[in-house]
Amino acid sequence: MRRIERLINLIAALLDGRRPLTATEIRERIAGYPTDNVEAFRRAFERDKADLREMGIPIELVKDEEDQDAYLISPQKYYMPDLDLQPDELAALKLAADAVLGAGDQAESGLRKLSVDAAGDGVSSPQVVWGADLAAEQPLLGPLLASLLERRPLRFGYESGDGQRSDRHIEPYSLVHRRGHWYLVGRDVDKDAPRSFKVSRIVTKLTQGDGTYDIPADFDVEAHIGLEPWELGTGAHATAKVRFDATLAWWPRQNMAHLSSEERPDGSLDVEMPVANLGALVSWALGFGDRVEIVEPPEARAEMLRHLAPFLEDTA
Amino acid sequence: MSDSGRLGRRLSRILLLLPYAIQHPGTTVADLSRKFDIPKTELINDLNLVFLCGLPGYGPGDLIDVDFQDDRIFISMADYFSAPLRLTPAEGLALYAGGQAIAALPSMEQADSLKRALQKLGRSLGADGEDDDGAAIKVRFEESPADHMEVLQQGLAQRKQVEIEYFSGSRAEFSTRKVDPWGLVAALGRWYLVGLDHNSGEERMFRVDRIKSAALTEDDAPAPDDFDAERYKGAFVGREDQQTVTMEISSDAARWFEDYYPVRSSEELGDGWRRVELFSSSDTWSATVALKLGKEVRNVQPASVTSRGEELAASIASRHS
Repeated sequence: MRRIERLINLIAALLDGRRPLTATEIRERIAGYPTDNVEAFRRAFERDKADLREMGIPIELVKDEEDQDAYLISPQKYYMPDLDLQPDELAALKLAADAVLGAGDQAESGLRKLSVDAAGDGVSSPQVVWGADLAAEQPLLGPLLASLLERRPLRFGYESGDGQRSDRHIEPYSLVHRRGHWYLVGRDVDKDAPRSFKVSRIVTKLTQGDGTYDIPADFDVEAHIGLEPWELGTGAHATAKVRFDATLAWWPRQNMAHLSSEERPDGSLDVEMPVANLGALVSWALGFGDRVEIVEPPEARAEMLRHLAPFLEDTA
Repeated sequence: MSDSGRLGRRLSRILLLLPYAIQHPGTTVADLSRKFDIPKTELINDLNLVFLCGLPGYGPGDLIDVDFQDDRIFISMADYFSAPLRLTPAEGLALYAGGQAIAALPSMEQADSLKRALQKLGRSLGADGEDDDGAAIKVRFEESPADHMEVLQQGLAQRKQVEIEYFSGSRAEFSTRKVDPWGLVAALGRWYLVGLDHNSGEERMFRVDRIKSAALTEDDAPAPDDFDAERYKGAFVGREDQQTVTMEISSDAARWFEDYYPVRSSEELGDGWRRVELFSSSDTWSATVALKLGKEVRNVQPASVTSRGEELAASIASRHS
């Protein structure tokens, strides 16, 4: 018998089971296992369990009526709940699935599960004319989300921007995609404070911590990650005044309309921006070449000059 | 792909085929093949495998029953497979994040349907189905001017040229361009227009936030049949015929640099610095990359980039002295 048949038999028996099955019962009753070699069975069963769990099949270890270790698949955890998706909603999700770049296979197989009860043709579409690179193919995202949904704390090794490695113990609250990268936001248990972590900087496997936790009702993820590039950082908040040349005054009007600004007689525009990190402000301003000037605060102007020093001819 | 990966994919597919066939008695091999995008021979192999499986006992009353009537398929004795497996976290994340990205598109006709779908999807992610656990997943894109996005989407849908006034970061200058819109691609959290730029005769990407004005024209804009948005993943994919520049960057900068810039190749230098070769759109663009790096960069080549950088630095510095 092929292994895939054995796996289907195992799922069927554990899912249909009126009661959980012990390892011995599985060995003796489910077709495909070596019935008379306990050690060979144990190896095969361990491998099957691991592969099925990897696929998201929730095999659980419980106690049966005689208080023995036994296995089952809870229908409640296995079956896709009926979401009652209307045709227009399903069509909209299909658009979204088509637009995911990188993790398109995941989106597509998810969509197929959602559309099992819908008649009609498949979910493949002729041509994607828009797509979003969500970096959603990173292997840690699934396990991070699983921990978050199950409210299970996590431990992992993390390398921060300055190259320091440390072990972290985190209660995950949210996963945020921003500027092309995913961040885990949660409570750092050791520091007893909210922290955010760039997922690509998690440098070890995840291990499950003990117990469970609640996400505070008043937790506001925006407060921890909703920052613009020039705001990023831990420095004190200040307000900077940034001047856009007349030729570029439309840009802040179009893209930063929520900030207060003032037009000057020559057509240039001064915009007031909240700033935490002067270095980030300088780097961002440089993206506009010489059409943008940081007017205030003086420290930011000084930072700009310091930053440019390596490129300036030595005038001393 | 490993054997267990192949096995897992086949098993996942069977666990999806079965519920569909059970819920649609009399479906045909052709239907299934189209719906699940599987060749008919593989599909028939899957079905032939399924009726060897079932419940302990494995007698006629225990095995899954697959009945072919002409081309039609009837599956019974497999009630336990009549609904699909839940979304895996990775599937839920991809769908939910994709939905959020698209729902935020201005003038998205299906936005309301999508929002309702995401609410239902969010509730299904958690085990108890009560909370909207999707709320824990957030996708934030930088805002794109709604008016421009609407015009660009119209151009795409109607296959018409758009005329844009564009501020090019790579040249630090304005230009008015006619573009055949091929697609809209979001990368690094921003939307880009991809298309054929009539000024240069080449395929280009334009940051939508740097478009000053956009107007639909009456001119037809054919798009290539094989346009593939997937190609633009990672945003600034360089073209092999594109110019490159090299610079040496510090180990601090090396940690994030490749996430943001189109690096063609890189090598470790003895002292912890790295030499990177990146695709360049112009000397001004490359010089700006170097300026942003400040003291984290050295030895920029070719010399034309260095001199452009010095020129720009002097001009910017004079405004800040």
